[in-house]
Amino acid sequence: PSIPEGMPSDSKTNKDGVLVDEFGLPQIPAT
Amino acid sequence: MAHWFHRNPLKATAPVSFNLYGIAGSPAANKICNDLRTTRARLLEMFTDVTCTPEIMKNATDAYFSLLQGFIASLDGTTQENKLRYIQNFKWIDTLQGNTASAQQDAVFELVSMGFNVAVWYTKYASRLAGKENVTEDEAKIVHKSLKVAAGVFKHLKDIHIPRLITPAEKGRDLEPRVIDTYIVQCQAEAQEVTIARAIELKHNANLIAALAFETANFYQKADHTLNTLDPDYSSKWRKYLQLKQHFYMAYAYCYHGQTLLASDKCGEAIRSLQEAEKCYSKAEALCKEYRQTKGPGSTAKPSEQLFFLKLGGLIKNTLEKCQRENGFIYFHKVPAEAPSLELKASYGLAEPVAFELPPVSDQCTPDVYATFDLTKGAKDEKAKPKQDEEVKPVKEPDLKPQKDTGCTIS
Repeated sequence: PSIPEGMPSDSKTNKDGVLVDEFGLPQIPAT
Repeated sequence: MAHWFHRNPLKATAPVSFNLYGIAGSPAANKICNDLRTTRARLLEMFTDVTCTPEIMKNATDAYFSLLQGFIASLDGTTQENKLRYIQNFKWIDTLQGNTASAQQDAVFELVSMGFNVAVWYTKYASRLAGKENVTEDEAKIVHKSLKVAAGVFKHLKDIHIPRLITPAEKGRDLEPRVIDTYIVQCQAEAQEVTIARAIELKHNANLIAALAFETANFYQKADHTLNTLDPDYSSKWRKYLQLKQHFYMAYAYCYHGQTLLASDKCGEAIRSLQEAEKCYSKAEALCKEYRQTKGPGSTAKPSEQLFFLKLGGLIKNTLEKCQRENGFIYFHKVPAEAPSLELKASYGLAEPVAFELPPVSDQCTPDVYATFDLTKGAKDEKAKPKQDEEVKPVKEPDLKPQKDTGCTIS
């Protein structure tokens, strides 16, 4: 297995590559 | 958010002794039977224990299911059915149909029935946690996760195990597709409710909130329609809940869509959207009343008494007044007769079920021990079967105590 990059965190990206939180909302609210 | 979610009762079951006298022909085989009895009893206890957490529930579930699989999985290296699958009778009542029990002499029936209750427990746990005063962000995450876990368990049972039953579920029973599908969709919709509350709290853009509310309303509509061919005696109350949530989230969708329209200077359309939000909100209020008055299984939620509900009424009113004011001295737009069509697709916040996996078969269930179960010796023994007239009593569930509602859904 390859070496994981970066620190594990709650952050994930959605299918469009946008960083989202655990609820699937963008990490940065875009109001 | 105390009393925000409607919950049907847990399934109840008759005790099972797993006394396979004669059949279990070795100390190790007897130990499996004893452990099945105790892990089953413990899991049943956990369903009504208010101190039970998801971690405890998972351990209790794994302990029982890893042993129960010794009666289901093929253990002698062949693809043949496990010889113990049909040896023990199990009796369960359903979440909707009062005390009428179904019985099947099939370990897969036990697996799906117990698994169903595990999923219902997760929904009740989420509901209890959401009903606490000042729900923290971490607790909101647990509520959200628990609902997705519940959806995943229901889905796993429906896709993998229910099709294996020899006797298909009768109409209106928990294991038939209409009922289990409704539970799955309700869990997803409720998880999205948590996300909507968070999106509002974090001031995400109006379009995101409108789209997620619209899709959530559609989930509730789908869940309601799935139940429309069931007997109203036991489905009406549940359906009223699903309908009131549908209208409530349509009101949200029109309200936030109105804000988006106003932001792009479409003031007339914004007014029309907010008028539609008002209509949906009034309908949701009326449905709350009908829901409370409808008799049926389950705990009665009181959504219309919640600040999350009441706040939306105020928001619609204020936003509509703002739009009308601005239209009166800036835009002078004509208000269209037709409400704007909501063709919104949520790109964020849709809740997918968390995939559920059964634990591996217990280490106790080796092929050697399996070989010591001798079915030819058990036929005369009636003790393995429960008495047919034994009544299954409903589960005594702990009360869901209402707490002071601060209106803070997620901090």
